[in-house]
Amino acid sequence: MLLALAWRNLWRRPQRTILSLASIALVSGLLVFVLSFQDGVYGQMKETTLRIFDGYAQLQPDGYAADPRLDSAIADPRRLAQQAVEIKGVTAAAPRVNGFAILANGSRSYAAAVIGVDPSSEAKISSIADRIQAGRYLTAADTDAAILGDILAKNLGVTVGDKVTMLGQARDGSVAADVLRVAGIYHSGIPELDRTILEMPLARAQDAFSMEGAANTIALGGPSLGAVNTALPALAALAHRNDVAVRDWRAMEPAMRDTIDLKYATSMVFYASLVLVVAFIILNTLLMSVLERTREFGMLLALGMRTGQIGAMVWIELALLAGGGCLVGVAIGAAITAWLQHTGIIYPIDPKLLAQFGVPRRLVPALTWFSAAAGPGALLATVFVGGVVPYLRVARLTPAIAMRA
Amino acid sequence: MVIAALATLAATAAFAAPPNADAILRQAYENYRSTSSQSVVAMTVHRPDWERHMDMKSWTRGDTDALVRFVAPAKDAGNATLKLGAETWVFNPKLNQVIKLPASMMSQSWMGSDFSYNDLSKSEDILTDYTHRITATTQSGGHTVWTIESTPKPGAPVVWGKVAMQVRDDDVLIGETFYDQDMKPVRVMTADKVATLAGRPYPVTMTMRPLDQPGQWTRIETSNAEFNVGLPAWLFTLSNLQNPRS
Repeated sequence: MLLALAWRNLWRRPQRTILSLASIALVSGLLVFVLSFQDGVYGQMKETTLRIFDGYAQLQPDGYAADPRLDSAIADPRRLAQQAVEIKGVTAAAPRVNGFAILANGSRSYAAAVIGVDPSSEAKISSIADRIQAGRYLTAADTDAAILGDILAKNLGVTVGDKVTMLGQARDGSVAADVLRVAGIYHSGIPELDRTILEMPLARAQDAFSMEGAANTIALGGPSLGAVNTALPALAALAHRNDVAVRDWRAMEPAMRDTIDLKYATSMVFYASLVLVVAFIILNTLLMSVLERTREFGMLLALGMRTGQIGAMVWIELALLAGGGCLVGVAIGAAITAWLQHTGIIYPIDPKLLAQFGVPRRLVPALTWFSAAAGPGALLATVFVGGVVPYLRVARLTPAIAMRA
Repeated sequence: MVIAALATLAATAAFAAPPNADAILRQAYENYRSTSSQSVVAMTVHRPDWERHMDMKSWTRGDTDALVRFVAPAKDAGNATLKLGAETWVFNPKLNQVIKLPASMMSQSWMGSDFSYNDLSKSEDILTDYTHRITATTQSGGHTVWTIESTPKPGAPVVWGKVAMQVRDDDVLIGETFYDQDMKPVRVMTADKVATLAGRPYPVTMTMRPLDQPGQWTRIETSNAEFNVGLPAWLFTLSNLQNPRS
């Protein structure tokens, strides 16, 4: 009966109710979209950045992160890589030798990171293979081939087909020297990579750096970052059995992690204020209607209704208003978000600028149960808790005084 | 008259040679490398799980020029490093090529040791870019040992925050501690053995230890040296680096 009363009460002032509903719906819908958009863009940012070189996670020797030395190595990387891809959520594992050397062409010389890679598994993890500007990526048949970033190539003055001399220090302290032929030049859009990284076939790098079949890291890939993150516990167990460590994206890209955490934190403040403001507006409207209806409540009390029942009735009005608004908002917000997720949003900004931050040109929101429910949920909770105020107001009423109001 | 002269003499003696940090260091450097030197040196690089021995010949000229050529073992023989002024070139026999070292590599390890390319020629920037003062005077093994602290002059382009050196009164540098910009000691070099070499007292065995890597050190032993010898100018050339005449 209270529900019927509350429902009828709402439609006694249709304009006010519609306005309240609309504001709740608007804010819920907006929250669904912005949360999905934020999740989606950060997700894309993470995946794009990690896909360039890091991989979604890495297996590394213990202590390698703090002190990345050549002699900190995984003795049997192929077996460990094989075991890693057997874990659900991990689809590729690429062993790498991470050397450091002087690259020279004639009188030009630059310090560079020389990475020994297995071309077939590497191409599944690092998008450098897709970002070749000139020439081609490495193949399994390559021996003395190398690919390098466009800035490094320009600094060295080499193009496809030229020779590059490499001089570094091997794992045993001896000189690592080799002559490589430039097979391709890549442009990742990340200047630090384009300026410093040369990739060469794994076996030859193992030979040049006296690695004796060992590798320094194993980069891991999967269908999505989320899939690999889900596989982290299994990876950690595998790592533990083999005396190595697993590093997730948060450990590998601390700057990106901190940026995203900070942006989430600041936008949460914004969302919270939005929720609070709307909640206050709704409560204020309801409180006004309660004050307006003091006489009516007094009448109801005189007729034998208890204050608790009237309070409950007011609360149900609130619940109907907020719940209805949220439902409409979520429906509209989710529909728009889902549609944009399908089409993507082209942001009118120089794509090069976006690429620097690992943001692709086509931004895609990611609608999840969390992004759809968190904002409206917070709004509902706030309104329900705030509903105590009109409830208490009603609870204090006495029929005699209320009737005279 | 005679008494007055004696008194003057005594006074002079008493005040003579107040030890001067700059002069002590200059003499230690002069003793260490002279205007030119030629030496045979063995280097041991020690790591927790391996150790390497290398033999080399080394020539120095003036304060900045040095040529080092490895002669053994076979794996390293033929590798050579030439430093002329601020520039450094390396030669690798496998590549049969001379490569100029980028400035960014100068602080990197030299031939896998705990010395950097910067250490190669005991370059004089310690003398010129730092100010020196004596912080302690001690007696050890019949010698007076001065501890000299060198701090960089303002704006000097230096690597270290501070260098502390121990120099004996016979001009032998017996210890050197390098501090980073936070004044934390990062590596220590000690003279383990001082012997007479080519008629002068010389730190024939020296060990460099990086303090952040326990169980890791590099020892250099000088078995043969000549100082102030006339070295031909062609020795310190790129063509000699690539195609040794000696």
